[in-house]
Amino acid sequence: MTSTDTQQIDTENMLLWHRVNQFYNQEARALDEEDYATWFTMLADDIHYWMPARESMFRKDETPDSTTNMNHYNESLQSLQLRVARLHSGAAWAEDPRTRYRHLITNLEVELSDVEGEVNVRSNTLVYRNRLEREEYWLLAKREDILRVTEGSFKVAKRKITPDFSSLLSKNLNVFL
Amino acid sequence: MGNIEELKAMVDLKNGQIDRRIFWEDWIYQLELEKLFAKSWLFVAHESQVKNTGDFITTYMGQDNVIVTRHKDGAIHVFTNSCTHRGNRICFADRGKARQFTCNYHGWAFGTNGDLLGMHEEEHYKGHIDKSKNGLQNARVETYKGLVFACFDDEAPSLEDFLGDYRWYLDIILDQTEEGTEFLGGCIKNMYNANWKFGAENFIGDSLHVGWTHASGAKAVSMGHEVPEYMPVDPSSFHANANGHGWEGGIDGVGTLELISSGNPRLVEYFEQQRQSMAKRLGDLRARKIYGSVISATVFPNFSFLPGINTMRTWLPKGPRQFELRAWTMVNKNMPDDIREIVQNACAMTFSPSGIFEMDDGENWENATLANEGVVTRKQHLHYGLRVGTSHRDDPELPGNISRPMYSDVNQLAFYQRWVDFLTAESWDDIPKVR
Repeated sequence: MTSTDTQQIDTENMLLWHRVNQFYNQEARALDEEDYATWFTMLADDIHYWMPARESMFRKDETPDSTTNMNHYNESLQSLQLRVARLHSGAAWAEDPRTRYRHLITNLEVELSDVEGEVNVRSNTLVYRNRLEREEYWLLAKREDILRVTEGSFKVAKRKITPDFSSLLSKNLNVFL
Repeated sequence: MGNIEELKAMVDLKNGQIDRRIFWEDWIYQLELEKLFAKSWLFVAHESQVKNTGDFITTYMGQDNVIVTRHKDGAIHVFTNSCTHRGNRICFADRGKARQFTCNYHGWAFGTNGDLLGMHEEEHYKGHIDKSKNGLQNARVETYKGLVFACFDDEAPSLEDFLGDYRWYLDIILDQTEEGTEFLGGCIKNMYNANWKFGAENFIGDSLHVGWTHASGAKAVSMGHEVPEYMPVDPSSFHANANGHGWEGGIDGVGTLELISSGNPRLVEYFEQQRQSMAKRLGDLRARKIYGSVISATVFPNFSFLPGINTMRTWLPKGPRQFELRAWTMVNKNMPDDIREIVQNACAMTFSPSGIFEMDDGENWENATLANEGVVTRKQHLHYGLRVGTSHRDDPELPGNISRPMYSDVNQLAFYQRWVDFLTAESWDDIPKVR
């Protein structure tokens, strides 16, 4: 491999990383602004959106996460839309005044998948929520995504969100990560 | 510190008025821990969570952290999670499997029955300790059809007597099949800055918040269909309470099943089969009319559930203005995997911190608590007067104290009456056996 070839690959990787980063920033903005119409265009029709609940276990008792255990989210596109329909019902009293959201996406690692047209991405997310007079909540989580490359952009085909909390330190989870 | 008479006056059963201080004052909360949580039977686990020898979970009775575990003799033990040497917690996991629990501090080791087994460098203790007198404090443990309850008071009546007539209602969720029930793995926990009683009283009888608080969820589920402006009053719907435990709901047999099945024919068919076998065990009234209706329920003091949606939960107090909710999904052991998945997802979609119904509750309970920081606000009593005094014990079909329809404060007041019974009692002799 010549140094020109290596440079070529590096440039392609940087470009891909840049595109994914751009995509995540756009997604974060859509979620911050409750622009779910835009968010849904960024999700694949067959998305699996999963956030297992976590518990504190002794290391020897740790088992892999399973969707058959309690989940915060175990969603299809349709069920995500149902959740959003609640907010748009005009009767979500607990969301008026609105919650102030901020999604920060960091630690982006992008690699081409063995599956044609797919990209595996890991990221960390920090979600800040502030509400009414002095309610303030921080959520941290790891995200493992499979993105599908589409014309000029991506769609999230799979997302596993692993939260860093065991007990959610707030009254609800009125946010997508 | 207030006195007994002051406390009694805070719950005005005749006029249906509640003094807001019961949701706010530290001294009342301390009394709750001493006289209610340390005396009452409390739900601690489902048997399926401690199926095999050494299986354990940790939970709270009041603010006492306890280990619930299956000992090698097959018995379930519940004991305090705090070393008898310096008091450190001996188990830090939510659940798992253990042969013994060893304290991190000095290596004192306790068996799965709470006995002190030994300690690191034990030879130093020769002649200085009677190990049999330094075990962990065990609670009494009794089960009712899969649910494990524990109680720190030796004077308390049996669990069966504590539940009393309410068992007839519990059977609707616990005794549908020969094989019984189990909890799905894991647990969802979240914190509320609210008084724990707001959760318990909401589930025991608050039919009227459903159509308003949860209007957003109802509209989402209906996906464009018309939602009535108000809930039609079904005169046969009811509040039932016994010994402070309560159940409220309809007898149309469909409300909840419609909500979770969303017309899925596989689920509708399953529930129909389910009802047929259930009717043989529990009769038509419970299998075909009550089960499947919109229902919510609380076992006094802090264990609540929604039949059909199958969320089972405890409101664990963390002070007068904070509690932790721990929730599980319960299914019949013989439930097929595909149905299990639908029920599990429907439960998370509706009643969990991310659920489109539950999401709206927390804001209400937190602000109903927080408003009482105002000394003027705190002095105004709350109205619990809807259909007060209408319950009667001689219903031809339903056991316990019954009031119809379900839109009332009857169960809530029965809950607070029991609450006063406990807080003002010197001992179990002062607490009425049947309420």
